[in-house]
Amino acid sequence: MTAGRRMSELAIGLIPILLLLGLWQYLTAFKIAPPTLLPPPGVVFARFFQLLADPAFLGHAATTLYRLFWGFGLAVVVGVGIGIAAAGSPAIGALMRPLVRVLAPVPKIALYPAFILTLGFDHSSKIALVFADALFPILLATYQGAISVEPKLVWSARAMGVSRLKTLFTVVLTAALPSILTGCRISLVISCIVVFLSEMISSTEGLGQLLVRAARNFQTVDMFVPLIAISALGLILNAGFNLLRARLLKGFPEEH
Amino acid sequence: MKNLTAIPGVPPLIACFALLVAWEIGARLIALEALPTAWETLRDLPAILTDRQSLYDILSSIRRMVVGFALGFLFAVPIGLMMGRSRKVAAFFNPLFMMIYPVPKAALMPIIMLWLGIGEASKTLVIFLGVSLPLIYHTYQGARAVGEKLLWSGAAMGMSGRERLLRIVLPAALPEIMVGCRTGLVLALITMVTSEMIVRQSGIGNLLFNSLDLAQYNTVYATIVIVGALGFVLDLIFERLRGVVVGWADPVHQIAVGAA
Repeated sequence: MTAGRRMSELAIGLIPILLLLGLWQYLTAFKIAPPTLLPPPGVVFARFFQLLADPAFLGHAATTLYRLFWGFGLAVVVGVGIGIAAAGSPAIGALMRPLVRVLAPVPKIALYPAFILTLGFDHSSKIALVFADALFPILLATYQGAISVEPKLVWSARAMGVSRLKTLFTVVLTAALPSILTGCRISLVISCIVVFLSEMISSTEGLGQLLVRAARNFQTVDMFVPLIAISALGLILNAGFNLLRARLLKGFPEEH
Repeated sequence: MKNLTAIPGVPPLIACFALLVAWEIGARLIALEALPTAWETLRDLPAILTDRQSLYDILSSIRRMVVGFALGFLFAVPIGLMMGRSRKVAAFFNPLFMMIYPVPKAALMPIIMLWLGIGEASKTLVIFLGVSLPLIYHTYQGARAVGEKLLWSGAAMGMSGRERLLRIVLPAALPEIMVGCRTGLVLALITMVTSEMIVRQSGIGNLLFNSLDLAQYNTVYATIVIVGALGFVLDLIFERLRGVVVGWADPVHQIAVGAA
C-alpha cells in the first residue's frame, strides 16, 4: 500500500469519529439534550484531565490495574501451562477438551456471586473473575498453536536427543508463540472490561465503583469519566501489547 | 473407553458429571456455609423452575436476549458485508469500531437508563450493542475472503452488483457469519446477565444478587447452574444449526469466548 493511499484511508476513518463528536457537541450546544442527561464533550474531557492529577482518582485506577494484572497474569500462566500440557500429552488433551467445551461458553460473570461468597468482597473475588474470563481465550489459543506446530521441528529436536518434556518448552512453546500472544491480547481487553464490570456490581473502590457512585448522585459528568478512563486503558494496553508482540515475534514469519 | 467417547455429546456429559462430583467433594472438604454442596444446590432447581416469579424473570431475560441479538444481526451483517467488499467502507468504519471495542458495553447501562428510562428499550439496546461488534467483525472477515474469481465469473455471466452481493458474497461468507453468530449469542447472554446485575431490577442477574442479599445460598448457586446451562445449551443448539445451514463448509472449531 502506498503512503498516500494509507493517509487517505486514515482520513476517511476519522470522518465517523469526528461526526459523532460533532453530533455530541451539537446536541449539547443547542440545548437539544439537557446537560443533566448529556454533558458537553468539552466539560467531560476537561473533567477527565483534571481528575488525572487527582490522587484519589489515581488510587481508584491503581486498584483497578492491580486486580486486572493479577487476574490476567494468573490466566496467562495457567492457560499457557494447561494448553501446552494438553498438546503434549494425549491423555491430558482428552481430559481437557470436554471440560473446556462445557466451561468456555458458560458466562463467567454468573460465577461472580459464588466468588464473592467464597472469597469475600475484597480483591480476590474480582481477581478470580478476571482470571476465569481471561483463561479460556489464552488456553484455547495456546492449545491450537501447540497442536499445529510443524512436527518436523519436534522430530529434529527429539533426534538430537532433547527430552520430550524439554522439547515441549523449547520447541513447541516457541513455535506456538504467535498464537499464544494473539490469545493473550484478546484476553487483555476482556480482562479490562471484566474488572470494570465486577467493580460496578460490587466493590468499594476502583474505576467501576466511581461510575456507580456518580450514577447514584446523578453526577452525569462523573459517569462519563470512568468509562473514558477504562476504554482509554483498554486501547493503551492493546497498543502496548501489540508493540511487545512485534518485538517478541521478530524473525517469525509474518502472519496477519 | 474409545467407543464410548467417540459418540458426540458423551464427553461433555462426562465432563459435566465430573465437575459436579468435584464440586460435591470440594464443598464437603471446605465445609463453608456459603458453599453448599452440588446435591443441595441441584435439589433447589425444581423449586426455582416452577416458581412463577423466577420463571417469569428468566423467560423475560431470554426474550430480551433474543430480540437484542436479532436486531444486532440485522444491523451488523449488511455493514460487515459492505466493509468486506469495499475498501472505502472498511476504512470508514474500522477506526471507529477499534475505538468502541474496549468500551464495556454493559457499563453503559446506567447512562442509557438516564436517556431511555428503565424499560425494555434500555435493556435491549445494551444487548444490541454487545452483540453488534463481533457480528460485524466476523461478517467482514468472511466477506473479505471471498474469492475474486467467483465474483468475476458472476460479473461475466451478467450478474448485477446487488445480485453478486446476495448470491455470491453472502453464501460464501456464511460460515464465518455463523462463527460470529455463535460468539454473538454467548455475548448476548453475558451482556444480559451483567447488565441485570448492574441495574438489579429484574431478570436472572437480579435473581442472583437478590438471593445473595437474602443469604439464600442454595438459590444463588442453583441460578448460577441455570445460567451456565443456558450458555452451554445455546452454544450446542448453535453448533447443530451451523451443521444444518453450512454443513458443506469445513467445521471451524472455535469456541465462543468474550466479555460484555
